[in-house]
Amino acid sequence: MMEEKETVATLAETPKERNKPGLGARFKREKAPAGGDGLTPEGPTLSRGERFRRGLRSQSGWLFVTPALILMAVFTFYPIIAAFVGSFQQQYNGMTGTFNGWGFDNFIRVLKGDTGTGGANFVQCLVNTLLLTFVSVPLSTLLALLISVALNSIKRVQKLYQTVFFLPYLTNALAMGAVFATFFKIIGTPNNTDTVGIVNIVLGWFGIKPIDWVGLQSPHWQLGKLNIPWAKYIVTIIYEVWSGLPFKILILFSAMQSINKQYYDAAKVDGASRWTVLWHITAPMIMPQISYLLVTGIMGGMKQYSAIVGLFGETMGMNYDMGTMVGYLYNYIGLGQTGYAYAGSLILFVIIMIITWINNLITKKRTTY
Amino acid sequence: MRISIQHLTKIFPSRTKGGEAVHAVEDMNIEIPSGQLVGLLGPSGCGKSTTLFMLSGLESPTSGKILFDDQDVTTLAAEKRGIGLVFQNYALYPHMTVEQNIRFPLDNMRIKKEEGNARALDAARLVQIEDLMSRKPNELSGGQQQRVAIARALVKMPNVLLLDEPLSNLDARLRLQTREEIKRIQRTTGITTVFVTHDQEEAMSICDTMVVMKLGVVQQIGAPQDIYDDPNNLFVANFLGTPPINIFKGYTEGGKVYIGGEAVAEAPASCGYENREVYVGIRPEGFIYDAEGAFTLRVDHIEVMGRDKSVVSVHECSTKPTVRSIIDSDVMLPPDAETLRFNIKPYKLFLFDAETEERLR
Ligand SMILES: Nc1ncnc2c1ncn2[C@@H]1O[C@H](COP(=O)(O)OP(=O)(O)O)[C@@H](O)[C@H]1O
Ligand SMILES: [Mg+2]
Repeated sequence: MMEEKETVATLAETPKERNKPGLGARFKREKAPAGGDGLTPEGPTLSRGERFRRGLRSQSGWLFVTPALILMAVFTFYPIIAAFVGSFQQQYNGMTGTFNGWGFDNFIRVLKGDTGTGGANFVQCLVNTLLLTFVSVPLSTLLALLISVALNSIKRVQKLYQTVFFLPYLTNALAMGAVFATFFKIIGTPNNTDTVGIVNIVLGWFGIKPIDWVGLQSPHWQLGKLNIPWAKYIVTIIYEVWSGLPFKILILFSAMQSINKQYYDAAKVDGASRWTVLWHITAPMIMPQISYLLVTGIMGGMKQYSAIVGLFGETMGMNYDMGTMVGYLYNYIGLGQTGYAYAGSLILFVIIMIITWINNLITKKRTTY
Repeated sequence: MRISIQHLTKIFPSRTKGGEAVHAVEDMNIEIPSGQLVGLLGPSGCGKSTTLFMLSGLESPTSGKILFDDQDVTTLAAEKRGIGLVFQNYALYPHMTVEQNIRFPLDNMRIKKEEGNARALDAARLVQIEDLMSRKPNELSGGQQQRVAIARALVKMPNVLLLDEPLSNLDARLRLQTREEIKRIQRTTGITTVFVTHDQEEAMSICDTMVVMKLGVVQQIGAPQDIYDDPNNLFVANFLGTPPINIFKGYTEGGKVYIGGEAVAEAPASCGYENREVYVGIRPEGFIYDAEGAFTLRVDHIEVMGRDKSVVSVHECSTKPTVRSIIDSDVMLPPDAETLRFNIKPYKLFLFDAETEERLR
C-alpha cells in the first residue's frame, strides 16, 4: 500500500488539476463577463460600521487558521528543526542527553552502512525504495489506464463497474495484505510441497518447483554489499500494483468519462486505430490526472513501510533486506540511535525534494496545452 | 462523388423504459449530384446532425440506404468512407498543434513524412492558416479554429465534405466572411459538400441545393431561390426569408382570396371557389403602396432603412403580432397616415390549407 488513503484527502483539497475546468468544458467557448466584475465594493460610499465589519471579515481568516498553525508548529515544524539539529550531533546518548560534538559523522556512517548496530543498511533501503517505487507506480498507473480504457468502452455497464472497482479500495488494507500473503506463502519447510500457496500451485502446473516467495529461504542475488531479493521484489511489486489499482482506476475512469465524445468521433473519421486513440487522444487528455497519480504514487512510494511489514514481518525480510527508507528511520529510532535516524530522514527529505522538483518540471511541460 | 440517400430512417430508442422513441430522421430521400454544395436546413433538433452523422458513418441508420456513387456505404465504417467531417465545436485535439491536428488523418493513413508535411501545408494554405501551424487550438480565435477543422477535414482529400453548423460559433461579421470562404473552398476543390445549418440566410446564401427539414421529415428540396419563391407548405414559407413572411387567416370565395372581408387576390383554380379556410402568406416585399389598394393595414410605425423602408402595422387576421411590409424608399407615403392601402404582388402571395398547412397552388 502506498499511503493512498492520504492522497484522497489531498485530492479533495487543492491539487491544481482539479481546479481546471473539465476537459470537456474546453469545448465551450468561455464568455468574458461584460463590463466590470461587479465584485469590487465602492469604497467611499461605505458607512463606518460597514467598513469595520468588512475589515474584521477580511482579517478573520487568521482566526480560523491559528489553531492549525499552532498544531503544525508543535507537531511539524518543531520535529523538523529538532531532526535537523539532531542529525549533526555526533554519538548522541538518549539516556543522558549528551553528545560528542557537531559534524557530519552521522551522515557518513549512515551512507557507508557503518553504524555498528546490526540495524538496516541505508543504501539497501534506498535502493529498495527507489526500485520498488519506480517499477510499481508506473506499472500500476499503466495497468489502471488500460483497464479504464477497457471499462470505458463497455457502454452499458459503466456505472456498475465503477462501483465494483471502487469496492476493493474501501476494504481494509491489512485484510487485503493477509489474503495476499497466503497466495505466495509456503507453510512448513520449503521442501514440503503439500502446503504451498496458490501461486506455487499454479507454477507447479508448469513444472516449476515451489519458490519461497516471502519466507526466510527466499531467493536473491548478491551485488557486492547489496542484496537483490528478487522474489520478494516481485511479491511486493505485484502487491503494490494490485492495491494501487482501484484508486487509480477510479481517477482515470472518471477523467475519461468527462472527455467529450466528439474527440473520439473525430478520431474515428480520421481513421485512428484504437492504439492511436489511446496514446494520442485519451492519454494526453487525461494527462493532468495521470501525472497526479504518478506524483502522488511516487511520493507515497518513497514513504512505503507498512506494506513491507505486512508482507515480510517487522524485520522487513531477512536482515532488513526489504527495508525501506521510512523503515530505516523506525529501525534506528527503535534501536535508540536517533542521530542516524535524523540523518537518514534528512537524506530522505532531500531525495523527495529532488524528485518533487523533477516531477514539477515534467508535469509542467506535459500538461500545459 | 454523387450521394444518394434512400429511405433513410433513424430511430433512437427511448432512454427510459416505456418512453417514446425519437424519430430523428424519417424516410429521407435525397439525390446529391457530384460537386454540389448542399445545405441541410431546419430548426434545432430536426435531425440535421443525425443525418450528417449517418452520412459520415458515425451513426448507423435504423433503415434505408446511403450510396456514394454506386457503392452502398450504409454499413461501411467511418474511416473507410473517405469523408471529411467538421464538427459543430470543431473537436480540435487541444494537446496537438495546428500542424499535428491537420496531419493526424495523414499519420493514421501512414503517409510518408515529407508527403504528409507537403499536404498539410497545402491544406493550411487553402484555408489561409499556414502561419499558425505551431500554435495550439486554444491560442486561436473561433474563426481560425474553424479553418483548422476544415483543413483537417480536407487534408486527406475526401470525396465528401460534411460540415455541421460550421459557423454557429462565430460572430456575425466572421460568419459572413467565413461562409463565403467555405463557398470558395468548395468551388476550388469541387468536393461534394453537405452543410448543416439552422440559419436560413446562411443556407440560402451559399448552397446550390437546399434541403428543408422539420422533425426529421424532409419538407422540400430545391435551389434556394426556387424554394423561397415556391414553398411547399406553411412551415417552409415561414422558415425562409428575413424578415419572415406575413401570415393571415383568410378564406376563399367566388375565385377571390379574402382577408378580413377584403378581397386581396385571385384564388388559384385548384382550391375551389367555395368557402374555404386558408392561411394567406404574403412576403414583406409583396406589398405595393396604392391609395386605392385592395388591402388595408393599420400602421404602427415606419422603420427607415435607407435603401428601403419597413411599414410595421397590425391586422386582426394576422397570426403574428405585427405585419411587416417593405417598400422602396422613394415611394412617398402620406405622412401620419393611420391606415395604408396596398395591392399585393400575386407571385408573393401563397395560400395554404388551414388544416394540413399544405400549399394550395
Ligand atoms: N444519441 C441520441 N440518442 C437519443 N436521441 C438523440 C440522439 N442524438 C440525437 N437525438 C435526438 O434526435 C433529434 C435530432 O437531433 P439532431 O440530429 O442532433 O438535431 P439537429 O442537429 O437538427 O439540431 C433530437 O430530438 C435529439 O434529441
Ligand atoms: Mg445539430
